[in-house]
Amino acid sequence: MVQVSVKPESFEMVFYDAAVIGEVVAEVAERLGVDEAITLNIDETSLLGHSKILSYDPIDLWVGGGALENTQRPRNFGQTRSRDTIGRLLLRILDRRSGRFDDAPADDELDLSQFVAWDVHNVGRLERIGLGGQRQRRLYQFRNRHGFTDTADAAFEELWGSSELSWAEIERISVGCRP
Amino acid sequence: MTDTKRPREPFAPWDRRSLPGLFDVDETAERIGYYKWAEIKLFEALGGWVATVPELDVKLRLGTHCYHHAWHADLFDKRLPELREMQTERLTVPPNDHMVEFFESMTEPEAAHMTIEKLVGVYRVLIPHKIAAYTYHRNGTSEITDMPTIRILDFILQDEFNDWREGEMLIQSMIESPEELERAMSHQTKLEKIMLAAGGIAGPGSIGNPYVEVVEKN
Amino acid sequence: MRKIFPAEELARDSRFIRQSNEQRMGDPRGARIAGGNTSGNLAKLTPGLPNGPDRARALMHGIFVGEIQALEGAGRTCWDFELGDEVPLALKLDMARQCWDEARHCEISVSLAEHMGTELGEYAENALLYEAACNPDPVLRLTGVNRALEGLAIDVFNTMKEFGNMAGDPVLEFCEDWMLADEVTHVKMGSDWLRRLTENDKDRLDKALEFQKVVDRLFSFNGFRGEDDDSPIQLTRRFRELAGFTDEEIDEIADMSRDARSEANA
Repeated sequence: MVQVSVKPESFEMVFYDAAVIGEVVAEVAERLGVDEAITLNIDETSLLGHSKILSYDPIDLWVGGGALENTQRPRNFGQTRSRDTIGRLLLRILDRRSGRFDDAPADDELDLSQFVAWDVHNVGRLERIGLGGQRQRRLYQFRNRHGFTDTADAAFEELWGSSELSWAEIERISVGCRP
Repeated sequence: MTDTKRPREPFAPWDRRSLPGLFDVDETAERIGYYKWAEIKLFEALGGWVATVPELDVKLRLGTHCYHHAWHADLFDKRLPELREMQTERLTVPPNDHMVEFFESMTEPEAAHMTIEKLVGVYRVLIPHKIAAYTYHRNGTSEITDMPTIRILDFILQDEFNDWREGEMLIQSMIESPEELERAMSHQTKLEKIMLAAGGIAGPGSIGNPYVEVVEKN
Repeated sequence: MRKIFPAEELARDSRFIRQSNEQRMGDPRGARIAGGNTSGNLAKLTPGLPNGPDRARALMHGIFVGEIQALEGAGRTCWDFELGDEVPLALKLDMARQCWDEARHCEISVSLAEHMGTELGEYAENALLYEAACNPDPVLRLTGVNRALEGLAIDVFNTMKEFGNMAGDPVLEFCEDWMLADEVTHVKMGSDWLRRLTENDKDRLDKALEFQKVVDRLFSFNGFRGEDDDSPIQLTRRFRELAGFTDEEIDEIADMSRDARSEANA
């Protein structure tokens, strides 16, 4: 069982349970083959869905509380959304560690087009193992960064449907359809 | 060169319209008043029901149909002064108490689980009776003297047929069990009995009398 | 069927989860508005924001449930009042027309939700808009809904239209523009009826305008809607003028928004 440390251990503004969150994180990690300790820092004051990787080794993640929230029941924990958020973060870590992303910019240097292209590739992979989804939502995000065109849609299909692309391939696909 | 002095008949050979029609001005105004009253009651009911039905497609259709029948009421309202009725409210009345009772019964279902009853009242009872009365009227009134009424009724009938079809399809899509079928039939029967007593949306004579009076000889 | 239908009983299928006003406004993190919140840093809703597309999605869902409630509110106004001097037939005919318009807006919103990848009921629904439409006084209903809330709709739809334009999204821009045209009609209806029904009753007019201000303030969400550059929903002068708002009225709404924001940040 993957060891997960959730901070804070208790919450005042939202109805989250650190133990439940830990179980969900562990479940996602195991599905992705991550077998090491994970720290998850949650800013409960934020209802926005931001997330970032504080450290790749050891794994240290940060999320705004909204990234784990049930949008139908605000302030309540949302399992589906959380699996999606954590899954995307862990896949980025695995990608960077794989050697295929050695030439990728640092996280805070990725522009919006690059970020969403990589994200599409991540969510497509997550969907195929039963985590994440919302394909049309990701397509809409991708179109906003790459244009509402047939070329962009074809690029989305390639990113979504491919397994384990390199950064160079993702960049090529993304650049190839930008307006 | 065309002989401009050569006379032609005022009615072309294919124009077989003739006089008179079944209704004089006052009778027409009276019926139009009944129709207007019914359309008002119907659009008010459809509007009120929107908030009470949980089915999203039904909710949206009721909103659209609400406007159709409001527009019908408006068309009738505008026709009345043309039939010498300047106080249009005076003729905007039910033909009898049974029609009042009909609408009270038709609009009684309110609970969220009663969408079938709401739809049946409108689309299997009221609207078919309206189609019948409007058709009788437009076919029977004079195509020469009363063409404005015919034109209005033709536009309205187009809406009525479309709304009837949409409503009927919604009903069919909602009835999935013998119990639901029983509810629909039971409510329809209840309302049809009241409509029978009323004689139709314009009272007795709403669709004319097709029966022949046979005089016994000897 | 009863007259005056309470908001708690608005009929919904299982996809829709209701959030009370107390829950929404009582969120210690700040009320959730259109994927953003009313505390913290505000920014005009544009595709350039990192979470811009998702915020537009959330706002679009809010528009969708708002349209359902607007449809229900207009429908209830057809039913709740007896015809007479207070509610003439012409007013009900206008409300029926609004029913049709709002039904189309629901259809448009559903289609846009599909376009943007939003599931119906993905976000909690708050019934504040319908509650504003529940007033037992028809004049207050018109001012609360047709002037205040439909005026807000003008601001929201214009913001979304501009978002669509900036993003190069032809579907979003097209749809928002059509809805925007209808909302200008609805506000005009409200303005016209307010004038006609209170022609000889200044007290009633004052009361109605006061109620409109209450609703406007409630729906400014601590300055979320305003004229400042970083207001996520921009107050739209041009279309409000077309709809019959005077410069003074629009200035007042802008000032109210700034005051609300200052209070929230204090």
